[in-house]
Amino acid sequence: MPSDKNKDIIVTKNITKTYSDNGIPVHAVRGVDLTIRNGEFTAVVGPSGSGKTTFLNIISGLDTVTDGKVWLDGKLLSEMSGRELSDFRRDSIGFIFQAYNLIPVLSVEENVEYIMLLQGVPEKERHERVMKMLQLLNMEGFADRLPPKLSGGQQQRVAIARAMVAEPLLVLADEPTANLDSRTGGELLDLMRELNQSTGMTFVFSTHDQMIMGRATRLVTLKDGRIASDERRD
Amino acid sequence: MMTFKMAYRNVLRQRRRTLLTVMTMLGGFTLASISIAWSDGNYNFVIDLFTRTQLGHIQIHSQGYLDKPTLYNTITDYEMLGRTINNYRGVVSWTPRLFAAGLASVGHKSTAVRITGIDPVRETETTRFDKKIIEGRMFGETGTPEVILGKGLALTLKAELGNELVIVSQGADGSIANDLYNVVGVLESGDPLSDQTSLYLRLSDAQDLMVLYGQAHEMAIVIEDLDDVEEITVGLTEAINRPGLTVEPWQEFARSFYNAMQADRQGMWIMLFIIVLIVSVGVLNTVLMTVLERTREYGVLRAIGVRPLQITRMITYEVTVMATVSIVIGFILSLGINYWLSLEGISFGTFTYGGVEFSEMYSEINARSYIIPAITVITSAVLVSLFPAIKAARTVPAKAMRTH
Repeated sequence: MPSDKNKDIIVTKNITKTYSDNGIPVHAVRGVDLTIRNGEFTAVVGPSGSGKTTFLNIISGLDTVTDGKVWLDGKLLSEMSGRELSDFRRDSIGFIFQAYNLIPVLSVEENVEYIMLLQGVPEKERHERVMKMLQLLNMEGFADRLPPKLSGGQQQRVAIARAMVAEPLLVLADEPTANLDSRTGGELLDLMRELNQSTGMTFVFSTHDQMIMGRATRLVTLKDGRIASDERRD
Repeated sequence: MMTFKMAYRNVLRQRRRTLLTVMTMLGGFTLASISIAWSDGNYNFVIDLFTRTQLGHIQIHSQGYLDKPTLYNTITDYEMLGRTINNYRGVVSWTPRLFAAGLASVGHKSTAVRITGIDPVRETETTRFDKKIIEGRMFGETGTPEVILGKGLALTLKAELGNELVIVSQGADGSIANDLYNVVGVLESGDPLSDQTSLYLRLSDAQDLMVLYGQAHEMAIVIEDLDDVEEITVGLTEAINRPGLTVEPWQEFARSFYNAMQADRQGMWIMLFIIVLIVSVGVLNTVLMTVLERTREYGVLRAIGVRPLQITRMITYEVTVMATVSIVIGFILSLGINYWLSLEGISFGTFTYGGVEFSEMYSEINARSYIIPAITVITSAVLVSLFPAIKAARTVPAKAMRTH
């Protein structure tokens, strides 16, 4: 569990991402330098097309950069093989997606358990940690349900449980409240903030939701792929 | 285990598509199993018929006789060898034969003939010789020299029952061999070409004619089960233990017949190839559609740290589950059909071969008619699924998760 508040979790140096859209080059991210420290509750905000999701994909190793460098927990992502990157994501990053993205054929318990299974955590410990996490998210009564049988809010709770159960270094959340009503969204954000404060886990959100912006300890605004502002609220 | 569980549940997700894929593989398996069982049943029937009524399953000759059949290269103590053969497990019977060439005449008609001396009792026991006689009778036990003619030869010589037939040949001692025989029967062996030149004498009469007393050129052996032919051949070679003699199975001494059968059997591989195509197209279609539909899911799996190989494994497990279900159902289905075909057969009208009348052809229930289709179905299904599985495993997570 991360505890050193001065430790740099994410460091980006002049990262650029350009992709082609029907032959036209699109500069999604342009020369972004950013350092995110351990335990921060950061929101990357900006209008649609400002490069928020691309930025999140790059810092999690889900996408590659056209130029520049990214260090995650001191490791240079471009030097990692595909397998190392997979293992690194599994062990160090928890993902929360806008569309929940739970595995539909696995029950709630199995969805939350799956990453620990990949990590090789013993069965007894897995079960204990899953149940503890489901309890924390008020989902213990739904352990045997399949995701399609749950409401959007319930699915997002399971997604949060899945992202956090393995106690990753970093939780990346891409528009986590976009498909939720404001009450459910607010509840889940409060929960994540509590977990951030109690565990010291680093959270990075990509959002244009005012509720997230209101709770974030740091607000990084992107505009046209560049950092327009970087505001700390400690 | 979780990967297998996910694969199993994924199979149940699109039930209609799974059902169609299972039906394709099931159809392929069943078709292949029935075809192989039918073809094996038919081939073994023809082989057994030909060997059992003509050649015997195993033959013994003096070394080099088959390569260069001469009058002088004989087995001198066939009766003693026969006692060893009789005692060997799996042997039904044996019969000695003596061969020679000569000129046969009836009245003014003459032609070259192949003379075969047979032991009437043993030959009947071994190759149902008496059943092949279509006119007249079998040799009398003793008495005047008698001859049975092949059907074609009887026509060539315009010979009738009761006619006298003169044979002229050369004896083993260099003398002119000739004698007079009474035509007592006409025979149809099942091989019309052979019947145009063949005549049969009692072994003792042939030995007298050729001055080869107590000798034979060939010993034909019939065994209980055709499948045991190699094992019994090896066992007999050891039991007889005579370096001057060769003990060979039908595949050796009737090589051209064996090769013709083998060549005909190759047709099975064409049929299997067609089945592979059917299964492959069905599986490829299903898996490609599945991969396309679940691109986003694979992207998520890759994002949360699932390795590419685990995704490939999951997809191949899905195909393996479907193939296994198909094979199990196909096994039960084809076992039932093959069993029915092995009992009832299919009628192609009555026909006679070697004096034996047949009206149905039957399937044979054997392991290979299930093992070959099972291997074919599972291998083709898994191999075909590898291409889309690898494609799914190589998914770029960020791109895949943008898919809807």
